[in-house]
Amino acid sequence: MHFRFPAVALVLAAALGCSTTPPGPDPDPDPVFTATKVAGDNQTAAPLVELATILRVSVVEAGNAPAPGRALTWTVATGGGTLSAVSATTNSSGEGTARWTLGPNAGVQTVTVAVAGVTLQLTFSATAVVQGPVDVLPTLVATVPIPANYGIHDTFVRDGLAFVLAWNTGMRIYDVGNGRSGGSPSNPILVSSIVTSANGVAGGAQVHNAWWFHNPVTLQKRYLFIGQEGPASVGNTSSGDIHILDVSDLANPVEVGFIRVPGAGAHNFWMDEARQVLYAAYYNGGVIAVDVSGTLAGDMSSRIVAQAQPGGSASTYVWGVMLAGNTIYLSDMESGFWALDPITLATRGGGFNVPERFGSDLWVFGSWGYSGTWGTRGGVRGNAIKVWALAGNGVPTIADSIIIPDVGTISDVAVTPDGKALVATAENLGSPGLYIFDRATPSRPTLKQRALVTNGGLHTGEIAIIGGRTYVFAAKNPPSPALQIWDITGVVP
Amino acid sequence: MTCFRRLATGLLLGGSVSTLGAQSGVRGAIMVRGVAALTRAEPIPFGESLTELRVVQPTVMVEGTAFGDRLRFVGSLNFESLTVPDGELTPGGWGEGYVDRRHPHTTVHELNLAAVDVLGSFDRGARLGVVVGKGFVPFGTDDPMSRPMLKYPVNHHWAQILERAVAIAQYEVGPVAIEASLFNGDEPERAGQWPLLRLADGQWRFGDSWSARVTARPVADLEVQGSYADVRSPEHRPGAGGDADKLSASVRWHDMPEWGERYGMIEWARTSELDGFFVFRSLLGEAMVRRGRWLAAYRFERTERPEEERLGDPFRSRRPHFENSILGITRWTLHTMRVGRELSDPVSRLQITPFFEATVGRVAKADDGVFDIVATYGSNRAGALSVGITMGYASRRHRMGRYGVIADPHHAVTTAHVTH
Repeated sequence: MHFRFPAVALVLAAALGCSTTPPGPDPDPDPVFTATKVAGDNQTAAPLVELATILRVSVVEAGNAPAPGRALTWTVATGGGTLSAVSATTNSSGEGTARWTLGPNAGVQTVTVAVAGVTLQLTFSATAVVQGPVDVLPTLVATVPIPANYGIHDTFVRDGLAFVLAWNTGMRIYDVGNGRSGGSPSNPILVSSIVTSANGVAGGAQVHNAWWFHNPVTLQKRYLFIGQEGPASVGNTSSGDIHILDVSDLANPVEVGFIRVPGAGAHNFWMDEARQVLYAAYYNGGVIAVDVSGTLAGDMSSRIVAQAQPGGSASTYVWGVMLAGNTIYLSDMESGFWALDPITLATRGGGFNVPERFGSDLWVFGSWGYSGTWGTRGGVRGNAIKVWALAGNGVPTIADSIIIPDVGTISDVAVTPDGKALVATAENLGSPGLYIFDRATPSRPTLKQRALVTNGGLHTGEIAIIGGRTYVFAAKNPPSPALQIWDITGVVP
Repeated sequence: MTCFRRLATGLLLGGSVSTLGAQSGVRGAIMVRGVAALTRAEPIPFGESLTELRVVQPTVMVEGTAFGDRLRFVGSLNFESLTVPDGELTPGGWGEGYVDRRHPHTTVHELNLAAVDVLGSFDRGARLGVVVGKGFVPFGTDDPMSRPMLKYPVNHHWAQILERAVAIAQYEVGPVAIEASLFNGDEPERAGQWPLLRLADGQWRFGDSWSARVTARPVADLEVQGSYADVRSPEHRPGAGGDADKLSASVRWHDMPEWGERYGMIEWARTSELDGFFVFRSLLGEAMVRRGRWLAAYRFERTERPEEERLGDPFRSRRPHFENSILGITRWTLHTMRVGRELSDPVSRLQITPFFEATVGRVAKADDGVFDIVATYGSNRAGALSVGITMGYASRRHRMGRYGVIADPHHAVTTAHVTH
């Protein structure tokens, strides 16, 4: 261990009773400093757009000499915008700057900057102007509290029924437009619930995700597959089974079987329903394909027909899987975005293409793929949506990386059925919530609207069309977990 | 009421007070402690170094006895929520949502009542005790606050269970004391939070966890303990977290020869979470020698800790958890050295002890999780330097976390009366 400053400085700092943490506003304002706005005031732009001119302030001492090193505290006072590339102190010319992205609403918005040693703070104003047709905002139409038994991780919506996956509270079925109980997206009605078995996995039911299988061969809607997310050490180990429920009677779901991959745990699903094959991301177990034809009961692990660890045993930790066209796509937390053959699960291409961040969920629409990013890798936040150009055989090539400022994880992405909007859910830091992008240019979706959900953010968002309107069923994180249902119809016209 | 009024008055004035002498046996004492320390930690997560001047362990503690020492009261207020709301810079420190910082303790740190020797002479010299209130669970070793070093060891949450609502039954016969307790499994999420006794659905948290400890003193000054605890969902207050099975064993020596004081302790601890999915181990040895006014101490520690996703503040992790995942396990091997000199008489009530303390060591991965030590800290080294001064009144040699029949009898009361 090497300490670079002498003990004398320690003693001196102690004597002064000070801290050498990054400087905050001076507690004893010094009247000899003067601060003025240099640039960036009174601009006009659309909501959620970064202003063209950087906000700039100048601080001088008596005699107009530049005052370097003065602490600056930038604050979004009104409008809910965000600041980035903020100067914490003035530079050698006595100047400090900040980039300002306006908040979502039209009207005057303000940012203040407090300067150490200057009594009065400066205020920058900008006007958010909606140009052309009035923008449609996402509207929260319902909030269904979920017990804080960890809360809600995901939702699967089909036929007007929302299957809410609520950790140790189990799985709950809500009528959100099915007609059986008179529910609607704005008035979800609970149909039934079940706490699946722990099945010997430490931590309990840990209900995480689901897929309601509509079998086009038998025309049955009998089975619901539930993923159990057991304890895990990310990148190394995981646990948890696939639980098979018979939901022939939606009012009385019954657990009938399970699938286990030894030494690994289930995560997100996709299905090739025509082939009666369930694909499951299995973290360090890679991805598996399961034959789910016929009757399912008891231990169905022998139905696993293919398994692949595309990154090898050392670099495989698959978060999500999706079938599109004739390709299985994977998003691996460690080794990036992959394209696999859907029958053999042999690798076609991709991989080791997101080295700076951990991957999360994915979505593919047409010849474009999108994947989220998670947590912190090497000091880099999971604040990027990766855009992938997909070749005819599915092999991905990175096309772009969309950064969402002031979030720490983008844990779910999905494209609306009409292909117009890319929806992402974000967690952590100061601006978590629902983000909706316009896919007019699929290679470079542009942020259209966002709805901040502070105090936890959103973990997942499931898109569903109900009654001709487009909804996002979002999982709000603890400490006040809830199913949030957002109407995003017309947000991207 | 008169005796209690006199007791309260005496406590407010500082020091000890004995009311009505031997007739009622009501005695009490106040202890005060605090440490002003300038600490430089290097490296820190996603940064090179950080230096902070803070007052830590600001504590006011009251002990009282009554009815011939058959009733004991312990109350301690800790003001770290005011002085270190963001935690104390501590290499390897973790717990209660803090990482690389030791969390501030709850304001009402201890508040309990003990009945000692409940059966009197009926149990032929043995002593039966009952303790009820808030404080330490009978598990593991003494709280680090009452041990030689300023910086808490990494194993704090493996070797102590603190700030719980607890009911303890104790039985001491000869040199052996057996304790068993019931308590609430959840650890506090913030300094102002009380233990959760019951969930909203009516399910009890108090009593969902238990511990047992056997303490033996085969010879004077030597103490051996072994303990076990079954803790329900310690890191998720509503109860959805994993359970922990905890083991601890230790050997402790403390004596005071004419020339000064000697202390040594070796402890081993193991915590298994989620039915053994995660296992964390710790080995710690520490020693202190005081000769005249000078004291020197050394601590070796090798402890494993979980690495969790950090928030915008790299010194914080998410509480409550969303799931049972971690980013990996790291193993901290740390050497801590301390030198101090008493400015006051080492056996007087007043303590003024300037000190210098240094911690150096290394961090290694203990599993194949994705946590990247070098990306987080810039290297696999760990270290801190502290200079400061410990100030206290009647707080020397207090063994925090020991109640009832295993508490040092009349610690505060007798310490307060020592004069030389």
